[in-house]
Amino acid sequence: MRKYHLVRRSNPRMTTTILLYINGLLLSLLVGAILLYALDIDPFEYYGKMFTMGLIGNKYGFKTIEGLLKVFVPLLITSVALSISFKMRFWNIGGEGEFLVGAICASIIAFNSTGMPNVVTIVLMCLAAMLSSGIIGVAIAALKVKFNTNETLMTLMLNYIMLYVIRYIGETKADWNFFLRADSERPKFGTFPDSAIMGGIQIGKFKLLWAVIIAIVLTAIVYVYLKYTKRGYEINVVGDSSATAKYAGMNVGRIVLRTMFLSSALIGLAAALTVSSAGTISDTITNDVGWTGIIVAWLGKLSIPAVFIISILISILQYGCQAAATSYPAIDSNFADLMQGIILVFALIADFEANFKLVETAEAIQRRKERKQKRIERKQTVTGKAEKTAEATKEGTTNE
Amino acid sequence: MKKFISMLVTAALAVSSVFALAGCNGTQGSGDQGTTPAVTGGDETDETAAPAADFKVGAIYINSQNDTSGYTFAHHKGITAAMEQVGLDPAKDLYIVDNVPEDDEKVKQAIDQLAGNGCNIIFGISFGYINAMDEKAKEYPDIIFSHATGYLSNDTNFNNYFGRIYQARYLAGIAAGYKSLATGNNNIGFVSAWGTEYAETCSGINGFTLGALSVNPNAKVYVYEISTWGDQELERQAAETLIDTYGCGVIGQHCDSAQPQIVANEKGVFGCGYNSDMTTEAPDAHLTAPIWNWDAYYATAMKAAMTNPATFMTEVGIYYEGLNAGLVDIAPLSKNCEPQTAEAIALAKDLMTKGEWDVFSGVKLSFSGDAGSVTVAKTDAALKTNEGAEIVAAGGPSVEDSVITGSMNYYVEGVTQVN
Repeated sequence: MRKYHLVRRSNPRMTTTILLYINGLLLSLLVGAILLYALDIDPFEYYGKMFTMGLIGNKYGFKTIEGLLKVFVPLLITSVALSISFKMRFWNIGGEGEFLVGAICASIIAFNSTGMPNVVTIVLMCLAAMLSSGIIGVAIAALKVKFNTNETLMTLMLNYIMLYVIRYIGETKADWNFFLRADSERPKFGTFPDSAIMGGIQIGKFKLLWAVIIAIVLTAIVYVYLKYTKRGYEINVVGDSSATAKYAGMNVGRIVLRTMFLSSALIGLAAALTVSSAGTISDTITNDVGWTGIIVAWLGKLSIPAVFIISILISILQYGCQAAATSYPAIDSNFADLMQGIILVFALIADFEANFKLVETAEAIQRRKERKQKRIERKQTVTGKAEKTAEATKEGTTNE
Repeated sequence: MKKFISMLVTAALAVSSVFALAGCNGTQGSGDQGTTPAVTGGDETDETAAPAADFKVGAIYINSQNDTSGYTFAHHKGITAAMEQVGLDPAKDLYIVDNVPEDDEKVKQAIDQLAGNGCNIIFGISFGYINAMDEKAKEYPDIIFSHATGYLSNDTNFNNYFGRIYQARYLAGIAAGYKSLATGNNNIGFVSAWGTEYAETCSGINGFTLGALSVNPNAKVYVYEISTWGDQELERQAAETLIDTYGCGVIGQHCDSAQPQIVANEKGVFGCGYNSDMTTEAPDAHLTAPIWNWDAYYATAMKAAMTNPATFMTEVGIYYEGLNAGLVDIAPLSKNCEPQTAEAIALAKDLMTKGEWDVFSGVKLSFSGDAGSVTVAKTDAALKTNEGAEIVAAGGPSVEDSVITGSMNYYVEGVTQVN
C-alpha cells in the first residue's frame, strides 16, 4: 500500500518558492564546491568569476557583454516560441531542427547578397528563415491534425535530419556549394559579405546589435498576443482541452496549424538574427537553444515575462561557467557543463518542491486513524482491567 | 514540510559558513607564506608575485586538456612543458578555452575571452580556427596569434606552425619495411583518417611508404580511409579489414586512438602507431611511432614573445621544422623491431638532421647489410605517383614545403587505397 502521494499545491506562496530556489542554488553550489575542493581550487574565487562572468579585471569587458547578448537573443526568442506551442500542449521539441532550417535559408540569401543594401538583405534573410521554418512546423502540425501522428517524435527526428543536412553542406566541396569558402582547399564555411551582417548602435566601444532590440520588442508583442487577443485566448483553450475548444465552436485544426507556424517561424527568425550577427553559419550555430529553450520555457511556467528573466539568467550561467573554466587550466568545459547541469537539476527540484507536496494517502490516513482507535481501545481495556483489579484489592483490603 | 524546508535551509547555511571559514583560513595561510610581513590580504601578495610572471598564455583546444591521449593531449603537454622551460607557471599563467568546434563564431568568442583575461600570446591548435584567428589578429594587434597546421599569417602578430612529421613517418616506415622483409609478407596496411584530400595525411602515407620501400623494394602499402580524424570503432574495423582481407603484416596509422595497434596485437601482426608510444597498448605488436614534441616549438614561440613581441614575426615567423629541431621524432624502438632497424634509422635520421637529404626528392635511400654493418646507399631515382606521373626527376630537389603542407594530393608508387 502506498503511504504518501504527491499533491499539487493549490496556491504556492511566492516567498516559499523563492526560498526554495535560493536553497536549491546553495545546495548545487555546495556540490560544485566539493568537486572544486577536490581539484584544489578555491570555490569562492571560482564562483566569483562565474557569477561575474569574469568581468572583473577583464581588459575587454564590453566584449563579454556582446558575447552574452549573442547567446541571449536566440535563447530568448526560441524559448518564447516554444512556450507558445507548449501552451497549446503541442510538444514541439524540434527547436534545433527548425532553427537550422531557418539558418540555412537565411544563409542562402546572405551568401548571394553581395552589393545589396544591408537592411533589405537582413529583412529578406529574416523572411526566408521565418517562412522556411514556419512551413516545416506547419507540415508537422498538419500530420498531427490529419493523421494524429506523434509530434514529439516527428519534431525530434527533424532535429537530426537537419543536423546532418548542415553537416553535409559543411563537408561537401562542390561547385554548387556557395556556403563554403572558395579560398580554402578543405571544406570550410565561408563568411557573409558585409551586406548580410547585422549592424547596431555603437555606445562607446560597445555595440548593441539590432537583434537585441528586435528580440525584446518581439517578446513584448508575443506577450500581448497571448494575453490580450482572441487568438491567444484560443491557444490557451486548446491547450486546456481540445474537446472544450471544439464544443465552443473553435476550429482546433486551424488553431494548431496557425500556432505551430507562428512558433516555428519565430525560431526561424532567431536563426536569421543569429547567423546575421555571427556573419557565418556552422553546424554548431544553434548553441543548443532548441534544447535549452525547453528548460527555459518550463522553468518560466510558459509565462512570457518569466521566460524573459530566466533566459537572461541561463545565458549568464552559460557564459559565466565558460568564463570561469577559462581561467583555470585544470577545469575544462566538461566541468562547466557539469556545473550548469547541477544548478539546473537543483532548480528543477526546487520548482517541483514549490508546486507539489507530499501528502498521506486517504488509505494511510484511514489506517492510521484505525490504529489510533485500536490503541485507545486497548488502553481503555488495560486501564479498565487495572481499575478492576485495584478495586478488587481495595475490596480485599476492606474485607480484611 | 515546512520543517523539512527549514532544516534544508539551516543545513545549507551551516555548511556554507564552514566553507566560508575554510576559505578565510586558506587565504590567511598563503599570506603567511609571503616573505613581506607588512603585507596583509591575499590580493597584494598576488601582485608582488605578478611582475615576475606578467606573461600570460592563451590556448584554444579542439578537445579537452584533461584528455589522456591524442592530439589535444600532445599539444597541452607541449604547452605546459614549454611554460615550465621558460619560467611560467602553467597553473596560473595559462588560460584555456577547450572543446571549441571549428566554428568561426565560437572561435572568435574564445579569443575574446582569452584577450579579456590579458593573454599575450594565443595558440589555436586546430586547422579550422584559421579564418577566425586571421580576423582577430587584426582586431588585437598587441596579442600574438599562433596557429597550428594552417597556412595564413601576417607580418606583425599572426604566424602558423607545423612540423615535418613525414620525416618521422619515413623512419617508422623503415621499421615496418624490415618487419615485412623478416616475415616475408610484403603487404603493409595503413589506417588513415583521410586520403589524398588532406596534404597532411597524404604526405604522411607517402613518407611512410618511401621509408618501407627503402628497405623492402617489394613492399605494398594498402591505405584504408576512415573519413574522420578519430573514431575508435572505425579505426578498429579498418585494421581488421586490412589484416583479414588484404593480408597485411604491419599496420601503420594516422588516426587518433591506439585501436589499429590493439587489433594488430590481437591478430599477431605488427604495427606503427602515431602521436604517442603505443607499446603499452600493443606490447607484442608495436614497433615504433612517429611522435610530436610540441614543446620544442612552444618554448621557442614563448621565449620570442616574452623578449619582444614586436620582433616575433622576424624571430619565429612561419615555423616548419622537423627532426633537426626535435619537433618530430620517433618513439623508442620496441623489442619487436628487427635487429637492423636501429642502425638504419640512425643513418636516415642523421642525413635528414644535417639537411643532406629529404624524403620527397629525386634521390632514394636504400639500406642493406646485417645488424652491426648496415649501410645506406643513395641512388638517383625519379619520384613517381602510383599512376606513373613524374613528380621529381631523378636527382632533382625535394618538392616544395608548400606542396607538402598544402597541396600534395597524390600517392607515390607502392600505395594502393582500398576504399
